[in-house]
Amino acid sequence: MRRWTARVIAALLLIGQPEPALAYLKFGVTIGGRQITLKWADTPVRYSVSTQGATDVSVADFQAAVGRAFATWQGVATSTITYQFAGLTAALPGRDDGLSTLGFERRPELDRVLAATSFLVDRTTGALVESDIFFNTAFPWSVAPGGVADRFDLESVALHEIGHMSGLGHSALGETEAREGGGRRVLAAEAVMFPIAFSPGSVAARTLKADDIAGITDLYPVTGSTAGSISGRVTKDGQPLFGAHVVAFNVANGAMIGSFTLGSDGRFSVGSLSPGVYVLRVEPLDDAEIDSFFDSSRTVDIDFRVTFSDRAVVVPIAGDSGEIGVQVDRK
Amino acid sequence: MRRPAAIALLTLFVCSLPVRAALAQPATGPGRFEVSIGSLWIGHQPLGAADANETTPSGGQLKIFTTSSELTTVFGVEGRAAVRVLPSLEVEFEGSYGHPELRVAISGDSEGAAAVTAVDTVQQFTIGGGAVWYLPPLTPRLSPFITGGVGQLRQMHQDRISLQTGFYYQIGGGVKYFFFSRPSGFFNAFGVRADARVLVRTNGVAFDDDGHASPAAGVSAFVRF
Repeated sequence: MRRWTARVIAALLLIGQPEPALAYLKFGVTIGGRQITLKWADTPVRYSVSTQGATDVSVADFQAAVGRAFATWQGVATSTITYQFAGLTAALPGRDDGLSTLGFERRPELDRVLAATSFLVDRTTGALVESDIFFNTAFPWSVAPGGVADRFDLESVALHEIGHMSGLGHSALGETEAREGGGRRVLAAEAVMFPIAFSPGSVAARTLKADDIAGITDLYPVTGSTAGSISGRVTKDGQPLFGAHVVAFNVANGAMIGSFTLGSDGRFSVGSLSPGVYVLRVEPLDDAEIDSFFDSSRTVDIDFRVTFSDRAVVVPIAGDSGEIGVQVDRK
Repeated sequence: MRRPAAIALLTLFVCSLPVRAALAQPATGPGRFEVSIGSLWIGHQPLGAADANETTPSGGQLKIFTTSSELTTVFGVEGRAAVRVLPSLEVEFEGSYGHPELRVAISGDSEGAAAVTAVDTVQQFTIGGGAVWYLPPLTPRLSPFITGGVGQLRQMHQDRISLQTGFYYQIGGGVKYFFFSRPSGFFNAFGVRADARVLVRTNGVAFDDDGHASPAAGVSAFVRF
């Protein structure tokens, strides 16, 4: 079971560090010393479905399942991103052929990787040129509406990978417990973009959560949005803290949206928040492998206690909360 | 805390003025004008509870922590200007100011975080109108009344980050105690007014569009011309 519990993004190391400018983990590229958010310049994003490599599901069922996942992302009312099915192809994902292709491949050596997304980036402009997704047939798959025990739900995993394809990194909104012998089991998650999949048979990750919606809205916002943001700084012993997971909880509707302190100054920003009253919870990044979120060269501090801000934070219409300071203590 | 205390002192000062001429019935003819200022108390307003939940693989929910929110008790000031339109009926314009706190109690954290009450200070303004219907006097100095009114509510969050508007409705009753009154003349009467009301606030900093009822009470000094 533990062999199945992680997804990775094959291209993460190729494209560098998460962008430190705003909320969520968005991918970024550094071009000419400038950090550019990785996103599609033109929409609809055209994708093809490979006819090769499928074992557990038919090509038609595969196309239908990924089509539903694309439609779920496209259905976010506060985001402008759209997708378009460009047809079936005999090509496999991961080839630099100008086609964004989704398909199956057998990769038994990736014994903890259900699926992965790769990118082709224009090094002069930072624009996304192509993005491919492969699903690993070393694992059993299902497209059944209610799921099948001992099989991973293809639509749920596709939803996660299409989030990457659209430019989103991982969310840390989830709780896990360590398994004997290594790996982690997901107890609960409140983001499709949490890096570890639900157990086989579950179809609970077919629905986007507030965190996912905020992330895609941040990348592709509609004009005239009333969304606001919370910004601030996390410190420990008076020093800025890098890599703290900051969760904004809307006390009116229960929505949770996460971000991180991404700068060397301990600053964070949570964007695309609906106006209202929030509480802030700051926690160490200890529910998944840190390299699921950050480049391994970054030192993430997880030696602190979970802490709430003593300020009820108000997000104004299309504005920012103003500086919110949170001081955490060592464990 | 300083402002309510000052208003209370003002009220006490008015109450302690020597009374030389107290008539059985103050003049109540239409056209009389009355102003009052005093202290205001509004009970707390529950805003609701919400749990921070995450979705389990089976589609259930795992509670991460719990919140319970309220707008705290208000101590403030209020003022009125009233015109007698009938022998037993006044129409009044009123305004008030107070600064409650929006408090969110956070508890039950799944990872053992200390319980915290997160606070946002709110400035609350109201402006509105209402009517006062006088009942037969209980004693020569004591005049009971019932009152009701509506108006606009404005609540400003801490650091003036956001202004929320809404409405209020209130109904209640009270008494006026006359230290001085006479049947004629420009300066007609003064005394103290005490009332208790049910105040219903809608919108504003509340998390829904429902009306939220709170008890309210006030003591003010009035002068009638």
